[in-house]
Amino acid sequence: MKRRDFIKRSSLASGLFFVPNFIKNIENESINNLGFKKLVIIQLSGGNDGLNSIIPYTNDVYYKNRPQISIKKNNLIKATDELGFHKSLAPLKNLYDQGYLSIINNVGYPNPNRSHFRSTDIWQTGSDTNEYLDTGWLGRYIEKYGKIPYSGIEIDDSLSLIMKGKKMNGIATKNPRTLFTNTQTPYFKKVLKYQSDQHLSEHNLGYLYKTMIEARSSAKYIYETSKTYKSNLEYPKNPFGKQLKTTAEFINSHLESKVYYASMGGFDTHANQFNRQDRLLSTFSSAMDVFVKDLKQNNTFKDTLILVFSEFGRRVQQNGAGGTDHGAANNVYIIGENLKKNGFYNNAPDLLSLDKNGDLIHTVDFRSIYASILDKWLEVDDVSILNKTFRKLDFI
Amino acid sequence: MKQRHIQHLYWRAGFGIGVKKIDQLKSKSKNEIIKDLFHDASKVNLLQLDLSEFDLIKNKSSKALKIEMGEEAYRKLRQKSQRKVRDLNYAWLERLTEPSSVLREKMTLFWSNVFVCRDNHIFHIQHFNNTLRKNSLGNFRVLVKTIAKEASMSKYLNNRQNRKKSPNENFARELMELFTLGIGNYTEQDIKEAARAFTGWSFKLNGDFVLREKQHDAGVKTFFDKSGYFGGDDIIDLILEKKQCARFICDKVYRYFVNPIVDQRHLDEITTIFFKDYDINNLMLYIFNAKWFYNDENIGVKIKSPVELLVGIRRVVPVTFTKKNQLNYLQKMMGQVLLYPENVSGWKGGKNWIDSNTLMFRMKLASLILNDAVINLEEKGAFEDSFNKYYNKERKKNKYIKTIKNWDFFTKNHLNLKPNELRDLLIVSKLDKDTAVLLEELRVASNKDYCIQLMSIPEYQLC
Repeated sequence: MKRRDFIKRSSLASGLFFVPNFIKNIENESINNLGFKKLVIIQLSGGNDGLNSIIPYTNDVYYKNRPQISIKKNNLIKATDELGFHKSLAPLKNLYDQGYLSIINNVGYPNPNRSHFRSTDIWQTGSDTNEYLDTGWLGRYIEKYGKIPYSGIEIDDSLSLIMKGKKMNGIATKNPRTLFTNTQTPYFKKVLKYQSDQHLSEHNLGYLYKTMIEARSSAKYIYETSKTYKSNLEYPKNPFGKQLKTTAEFINSHLESKVYYASMGGFDTHANQFNRQDRLLSTFSSAMDVFVKDLKQNNTFKDTLILVFSEFGRRVQQNGAGGTDHGAANNVYIIGENLKKNGFYNNAPDLLSLDKNGDLIHTVDFRSIYASILDKWLEVDDVSILNKTFRKLDFI
Repeated sequence: MKQRHIQHLYWRAGFGIGVKKIDQLKSKSKNEIIKDLFHDASKVNLLQLDLSEFDLIKNKSSKALKIEMGEEAYRKLRQKSQRKVRDLNYAWLERLTEPSSVLREKMTLFWSNVFVCRDNHIFHIQHFNNTLRKNSLGNFRVLVKTIAKEASMSKYLNNRQNRKKSPNENFARELMELFTLGIGNYTEQDIKEAARAFTGWSFKLNGDFVLREKQHDAGVKTFFDKSGYFGGDDIIDLILEKKQCARFICDKVYRYFVNPIVDQRHLDEITTIFFKDYDINNLMLYIFNAKWFYNDENIGVKIKSPVELLVGIRRVVPVTFTKKNQLNYLQKMMGQVLLYPENVSGWKGGKNWIDSNTLMFRMKLASLILNDAVINLEEKGAFEDSFNKYYNKERKKNKYIKTIKNWDFFTKNHLNLKPNELRDLLIVSKLDKDTAVLLEELRVASNKDYCIQLMSIPEYQLC
């Protein structure tokens, strides 16, 4: 008898007597009733300088405020007679030309917070600036609609707030094999093998066993499903390229997971921004380029929507160190095949009316974007996730 | 006193208890044990690093220093001093593993998650931490008023930017929302008026509080339907006049020291006690003496915080970390880095400590630090990191935690313990019945192995 068959049989046999009901339930659960659409969220962590990514190259105010670090007219890729892409974003301009990119300008929230931590919390939880939520907006989606931890996966080793719900969290893994091996530690396996109880109790001990069981079955499902597809495209050899490759493998192996989150770090460019941001944007866009190709090649791009954001933009005026300090409103990129409105969704930032810190004032609340995605893409009730009604946009 | 009750008391009032100490205490009465515990906590042993090389920062303004030393040299000195906050973190963790003043240290840890603060100025944050330590069993009124004048807090909640001409409401808001009353127990107007009372509250270079008269709004304020020329201290007094304030703090105390599920009758009981004089020592004495504190439903039902878990293990088997930064790694992976709270609302605690990765990590912690096991999980980079630094942990696939383990100490103390005695010593929670069977059937090779095995079951996550 082959080993696989043996495992199958023995688990079938033991299933009748020993496998707790709870494990069976989760392993038979399906989230396919939520449809095939996927959402991938990328955070450019540290606060990407939106004004030097999508450049208002006909605006004198821009050049006046940034004598050393502005991008010159002849050194960018013009898109409209007002805005142009940073050269390192050429692959993004390519998506723009094909109608796969929608850029929403001036996205933010009232009374912006300029701390990385706090502003990231606000973006990840969808809270007001003075409201402290302990669940993320994707976490609430997972809990309410996904109903299985792996309906949301963060491509990292530790879980961010965005993926945390009240009683259920998403799964964090950068490498499904590692996660699988960690849960398969012989001693832990043994502990679980002895379990006959359902552990449905709300008490802490029950909760611990439940989490352990969920971790094991999620790891098993993710590992065994995702290993059926290996990407044959060459991704840039850097950690972010790897994160996107893993995401593509998850999506292309038809993992049932619905929402993915990854963050790329390094955007806190307080000093020597010119060259640093150049490299960062190139790392970002070249990996994104392969990612989209990978999805297209496997016919999954049509079912995938990608949202790229930063916790804040950067100050209009450069600082003394050839960099920029923490700002407020920023641009957000939406990438997908079936966008209703591609190109520039709204007007370029108004550099003449800034807040008292000298930062861009938002005209689009980031939660309007979430609401639109929840309602029109994931097709769930946005108010039940965001706890408030936000005006919907029509980019999808 | 019963062993189980001694263990319960010591887990909640401290970080667990060793077998030797239990033997010493067993014959004593509850009264005596609690008296000793409080007596031991009456000493205040401050946490102080040698910071003499940074004295300049404390005595001269950055402007003056930049001119005197040159920008580059000043920047380096400043950065080096900021890294000292890490050292303070390690020193604090070491302190927690020491067997004396357990209650005072536990209270300090508790208050640090009420008065949440973060600052990279080593002098100010060390002072802040010691203010918590000094007042942790004192009077709550004094504690709030002192904290409000701390330099680190002034920076963290923008009170030093709070000026008569343009009040900043951040501190006033959090004072009521997070430190004393809880959301919904005041109006937006109360916040505005309170903020006015705190205008001009600032500090000198060395961290000493100073009221900048010119920035201070000395006019009449109307707060909680009372009007007067209120200053910041008056606002705090007015807040403390509300029983809700005592209730809010008692609720936090109850969840932290007694049970995450609050029994309203017990909460009412301790609120009444605390409201009388806001004496923290009396409150804690009352709780630890209460009969209900020792009820079965309160024992072993709390999910240990990462720090409680880590310190608890180190109290059974003393461990020295040869690479201090690995202590940082452990805290990060479990989601609690002392002195580096992620935001002003602090660590949520309880079930929030647990997700599939953290649970896996926590259950592997004992074998990681006691048995040279490896874990293949990496920590996330920080916001301020460059791209390379953000991911540089990438290269080390498997993490070995380098430690020196004092197994002699363990063996000496636990040599004669039978397996079920060791089990009862390490596990205070109720045992899952299936896991109990597993433990019965395990072939125990040595107490050393069994110790690690016991520390690797879900029950060990509870205290």
